Amino acid sequence: MGPGLLKSADWPLLIDLYFFLGGLAGGAFVIATIANLLDAQRYRDIVRMGYYIAFLAIIPGPILLIVDLGVPTRFLHMMMVSKPSLEIGMSALTVGPFHLKLLSPMSAGAWVLLGFSVCAFLVALDVFLEDRGGRSMSLLRLVAGVIGGFFGFFLAAYPGVLLGATARPLFISAHWLGALFLVVGASSGGAAIALILSLLGSRARESLSQLMRFTAFALILQLAALALFIIAVQMSGSTGIAQALAKLLAGRYSLAFWLGAVVVGIVVPLALQLGGGIKKAAPGMTALASALILIGGFLVKYVIIAAGQAT
Amino acid sequence: MARTLAMFTDVSLCIGCRACQVACKQWNQLAPEEPEWTGSYQNHPHFTDKTYRLVRFFEETDAKGQMTQWHMMSDVCKHCAQAGCLEACPTGAIYRTEYGTVNINQDICNGCRYCVSACPFGVVAFNHDTGTATKCTFCNDRIHNGLGPACAKACPTESIRFGFRDELAGRAKQRVEELKKLGYKDAQLYGEDTNGALGGLNAFFLLLGKPSIYGLPDKPKLPQRNVIADSLMSIGAALLVGLGALVAFRSRDDKGGA
Repeated sequence: MGPGLLKSADWPLLIDLYFFLGGLAGGAFVIATIANLLDAQRYRDIVRMGYYIAFLAIIPGPILLIVDLGVPTRFLHMMMVSKPSLEIGMSALTVGPFHLKLLSPMSAGAWVLLGFSVCAFLVALDVFLEDRGGRSMSLLRLVAGVIGGFFGFFLAAYPGVLLGATARPLFISAHWLGALFLVVGASSGGAAIALILSLLGSRARESLSQLMRFTAFALILQLAALALFIIAVQMSGSTGIAQALAKLLAGRYSLAFWLGAVVVGIVVPLALQLGGGIKKAAPGMTALASALILIGGFLVKYVIIAAGQAT
Repeated sequence: MARTLAMFTDVSLCIGCRACQVACKQWNQLAPEEPEWTGSYQNHPHFTDKTYRLVRFFEETDAKGQMTQWHMMSDVCKHCAQAGCLEACPTGAIYRTEYGTVNINQDICNGCRYCVSACPFGVVAFNHDTGTATKCTFCNDRIHNGLGPACAKACPTESIRFGFRDELAGRAKQRVEELKKLGYKDAQLYGEDTNGALGGLNAFFLLLGKPSIYGLPDKPKLPQRNVIADSLMSIGAALLVGLGALVAFRSRDDKGGA
């Protein structure tokens, strides 16, 4: 009976795309920051490309979100209203016209999107100026990189937590969606950097193969998180959970799930990596594996959101 | 906060006339909708942006498919003490009034629809014409003028009662006892207990059987209860990813050399 009663936000593909790009941006940013902290010279290509990709991938984010609103002109209400109501939730913090609701991932996410965008802009600008022959403002890059890195983790994970805080049976029954979305962000961020670097014919073969090794590690986490998510949902035994899960594993979305998210997105790229094809960082192989990871990273978010929202 | 106002719907008195549904439409000036045939007396199948009060019909059948009992229940927004929609709303459009009810400020809502999927009862609906989320307000304009909600006023059998929560709760408990004496063994209250699920519902019900007969969740859960656990899991995953990156980018001297 349960799920027949519930309604769905019916968030369209635009939102899936934002969740994917946000995760990718966060992942690429974090990778660039870690590489920058470890050895800025040696990983120069990864740092540059990571920060560029993070900035470019986050630009469409706010646009996608605003277009999807019922009243797009009120997008600022996500953060501020001129006359706030007094009681807007148990976790609400209000300062003047601004508000942040700690238990509403959408509210927190709006703020983090703003903070991340500022950091991504600053470091991308710094990288750009350096590329044009200027000197890097390394302190700025360090500070904005580290702060933005924390925001980047948040940006990748929060859509999963957001979905978990709905009444939809597939989302509410387990605690794994945030973790899953975070590791998908890590793998797609790594894959995006590797794809562009291999297409541009980067000469930093060794650091590229290190990046691919990290991406493969993220893929293993992704597979584990996905499996644990499904097991946890199955074991929760909540009302209507069997039907909800069947939509994902055997119904309308099963092909995209098994073939797209699992085989194309995880198994094949992992096989390519473990089979040694990428160890030498052959550009063609790296590009192929990275493209598959990106496709799978989008599909895994898409199918879970679509199956969970279907009524 | 003023004394909490509440609505008590006693399904044992409901005759399924839908006067409440009509009165709600009239007072709130909700546009008509195409009826939808579901095979049951119930129309419409769900709450919508134009249906805030909905009489649900449930035909209980035995193994042979013969109808054994006919349940009807006038359903409405529960104005939960811990409301999923209110906690989800990122704009602060959804707020709690001084009477403990939950309203959506139509001038603030920007139509993100998070509340629609966060309601454990599927009450909040998205209005495509205004681009905002809407639901029952307990007739906010009426109760601020001492009139009581339109549905409660229209109900001919006093199945729907409106008043102070503490008074109604006492009356509801008495009614359960009466019904039990009359042989309705499974008569029970749903949402009356302020220590129960969602901190109690400000629209609570007297049901003649298990909540599941009426399509209601046995133990509705506040979706935001997940946020902390989900966040901790995400932080764990973030630590693993960070560690993986450190290891991958640290191991510099294997294969090929620098």
